[in-house]
Amino acid sequence: MKLQPRQQLLEVWRAVSRTSTHDGRWTWGGRDGSNSISDTEQLLCLMFPASELTGFKIDVPDETAEDVLESLTALGDSIEVPKTLIRVIREYLDNYTSEDGRPLFAGGSYFKSNDPAQDVTKEQQDLDVVDSFSMSVTLMLSILGFLKVFRRSVRREELLREILDVESRASKRLSAAMVNLLRSFTINAFDPGSPQGRVLIRSVNQTGSPDRRVIEDLQRQLTGVRAGLRDLTIGSGQVDLDNPNLLFECGWSWGIVQDAPLVETDLDVGPPAGGIAPNLPFLYFTVIALTSITDLFSERTRVLGLLDDDQQQLANALQRRWDLTQAYWSRIAMFGRGRWPLEDIPWRTTDDAESDYFSLLVTAMVVENLLRTRASDTVLNRVAGVLDELAIRARITRRAIKDDPTVRMHSPGVIYQLDGSDAIGPSMHWLISDFAITLLKRTMGVASIAQSTQTRERLLSLADEIWVHIHKRRCGNGVGRDLWDQPSNVFADIEPASEVPSWYFTERVVEFLVSAAKTSEADPIRSPMLSDIAGEMLSEAEHLYDQEQLIWATSSGQALQPKLRSIEGNLQRARAIVRARPGSAMALINESLRDLELLALARENAAGAN
Amino acid sequence: MLVFAISDKGGTGRSVTSSNIVYRRALRGNDVCYLDFDFGSPTAGAIFNVSTAERGTDRGGMHSYLQEKVAEPYRVDVWTSSDRSALRGKPPGAGQLVLLPGDSSGGEFPTVPSVVQQCVRLFLRLDEEFDLCLVDLSAGRSYAADMVLAATARPELAAIPFRWLVYHRWTRQHIIAAAGLVYERRGLLDVGAAHGHDKRRLAEQIRFVRTAVVEPSSPDLSALRSTQLAWLDECNRDLHELAGRNRVGRTAMLGKVPLDPVLQWREQIIVDEDVYASQIANEGTTRAFDDLATKIFDERAWEGL
Repeated sequence: MKLQPRQQLLEVWRAVSRTSTHDGRWTWGGRDGSNSISDTEQLLCLMFPASELTGFKIDVPDETAEDVLESLTALGDSIEVPKTLIRVIREYLDNYTSEDGRPLFAGGSYFKSNDPAQDVTKEQQDLDVVDSFSMSVTLMLSILGFLKVFRRSVRREELLREILDVESRASKRLSAAMVNLLRSFTINAFDPGSPQGRVLIRSVNQTGSPDRRVIEDLQRQLTGVRAGLRDLTIGSGQVDLDNPNLLFECGWSWGIVQDAPLVETDLDVGPPAGGIAPNLPFLYFTVIALTSITDLFSERTRVLGLLDDDQQQLANALQRRWDLTQAYWSRIAMFGRGRWPLEDIPWRTTDDAESDYFSLLVTAMVVENLLRTRASDTVLNRVAGVLDELAIRARITRRAIKDDPTVRMHSPGVIYQLDGSDAIGPSMHWLISDFAITLLKRTMGVASIAQSTQTRERLLSLADEIWVHIHKRRCGNGVGRDLWDQPSNVFADIEPASEVPSWYFTERVVEFLVSAAKTSEADPIRSPMLSDIAGEMLSEAEHLYDQEQLIWATSSGQALQPKLRSIEGNLQRARAIVRARPGSAMALINESLRDLELLALARENAAGAN
Repeated sequence: MLVFAISDKGGTGRSVTSSNIVYRRALRGNDVCYLDFDFGSPTAGAIFNVSTAERGTDRGGMHSYLQEKVAEPYRVDVWTSSDRSALRGKPPGAGQLVLLPGDSSGGEFPTVPSVVQQCVRLFLRLDEEFDLCLVDLSAGRSYAADMVLAATARPELAAIPFRWLVYHRWTRQHIIAAAGLVYERRGLLDVGAAHGHDKRRLAEQIRFVRTAVVEPSSPDLSALRSTQLAWLDECNRDLHELAGRNRVGRTAMLGKVPLDPVLQWREQIIVDEDVYASQIANEGTTRAFDDLATKIFDERAWEGL
């Protein structure tokens, strides 16, 4: 099945607006109930495409596309839709602000207890979590941009006041999320001889070199990152890396790190939250944090001027961590001259856990880095190989056998222990079931920067296969119709899940569809070979046409003029587009060549009969 | 309520759409009247198939009344006077449907204070009797438009709500012309302000109605070539952008009427029979009329942003 991002997104919007409104009122909560993350995800399903894709804009009611409006009928007409959304956003901000004005980022019902006999305590449920900071950053940026543009169409004082109020509160939530992200960043330094050090060295040493050499190489590779990390001044993760013999890793913990220093800022972010997360990077939360930080310095954020000066300062601090983390993991994942550690699936974390999912997460960071550095196709092909294998191993492009343990990775999901959470209740875990969609998103990401048609085709056909899998996982009926996730549709062993949509999964599909739509918007790859051939053909055709013109210049050519003019028109058009779309130009040239050839043939025929 | 219908240029379908709106409102039980203020060519009677007023009346129409030549304006009860069988006979539950035609030999006449005063008197009287008085003005700037702007600015009419519908076709020229008619120098807002209207409040009472609209997504277009469809789609996008820039966009729009062959060839009231029995007219057209008839009274549609 061919992926059609626009149609798919419209379908999702139709389903989201239908599922989320009852009797004209917005209802929160999906499969896992309502919490600060799930509600953010639910809103993002609408706000993200609206802010990222011009075809889905709803902030200028005069310009909203008809099919977009039609898909949102449940929320009202072009004028009511933005007003409804503002109301919903205000409700969201009310729900997730404490009485003393502190923005709340609690994991709530997404926290699961390890002990079936003991539920997660209320205190634990209220713990802030990186997933929520990250989703909030993305959502708040979408909201701020939306309001900024929408405001220009508004004349009524009352509505304007409401917009300004929502805007300042969204901005406060954004600041708080950024501060919290700065307080959850962590660096873990360890001795090469420690268990962690040994795991790391085993991972990077793919060629069987002596450990001492590997450590030296690794230290050299990481010199820049280490220097950068030592210079970090605000937030958590200020660790003494002066001892050059220590190895380290960096990234985000699952929440605010225990005893994390406060972030000095003039911004109003409410009273600071405490944290109990350990000073260890968690791959999953690192990737989640990195994804949202890119939104902070995206073109849209800059063009619309969504951040004020103080926020810009926080964003810069986050961007530095983003750069360093990205660089660190790419260096590790692609270390050495032989096989990359990344290619040695499954990835092993320094706490000695291994999973295909970790390989996927590291790939995600590598891909993000490749997107930035515009890597060559040789590198991309190796990453494509990893993606390919992950798809096979995860039973996405291969069938699952009976009682296949791999299937558990999709449903219920990968169990991710939240170390340190047992300080105030039973130890908790996080359930991650986004393997397939994350894999798809990264595949699409690599495809979008591939320079050769071959590599691109390889990745796109993999993406198509994964999409088929994802598409099948849509809920078939009930309230979640056309939304996700129903893994029992593809894995026979799994019991059908509830029909209520999972916003966790659906939001990620939306994110993917948006990036796919952006890829289709871009110009097709220009094949230099095709360009050359088209150029040669064009010059032949133009030459033949000129000859034909000479022959028919006399008056007897009158009847043929329309034909010649159409050939000329085609060739002119071909000349105009030959650089941008050589294939299309060739189609036009072919037609002209055929017409010219028929004329030549007819003349030869006449000459031959003499 | 008073509703003034005006158009940027001739041939937009202003009269026929207005007549249909009035007719739809009457079917829903409202007492409605239709005032033909198109002094240059009073032909509203033709739309309702009232032969006695096909080209206006000579028994003292709007012209004579406003210039105080007659004491009472001539009134036509459409339900009893229409020649069209589908319109004759008041359907059960329907309200009054009255037409106030112009003079057959009339023409434009300048706005003098006495005319405005007479106009105020007329609106006051009619408002007592009818739920909706639709005043059909001519195309473009006219004495009639000037007169009603003057009249509605008078304190006597302060309590009577009024609204303006500006009809325009969905083309570049019409969009620009419609915006000009309202916003430019000597446009409705300017003239209204000169008569004492508050410009902003007046602007809130003005909405645009697009007529003869061809939707690129409409199934009626399946006969077009794909290149024509692609072209049409692109044009439509351009027009939306142009309309938005000229403040004629969706936020300022009350509704739109699709292109309908029946309205193209003959300006008439479209009754349900035309849609469901003979099927000469499209259902979408009556839906659009109904929508407009609803929105004229719907506060939310006028609330705006």
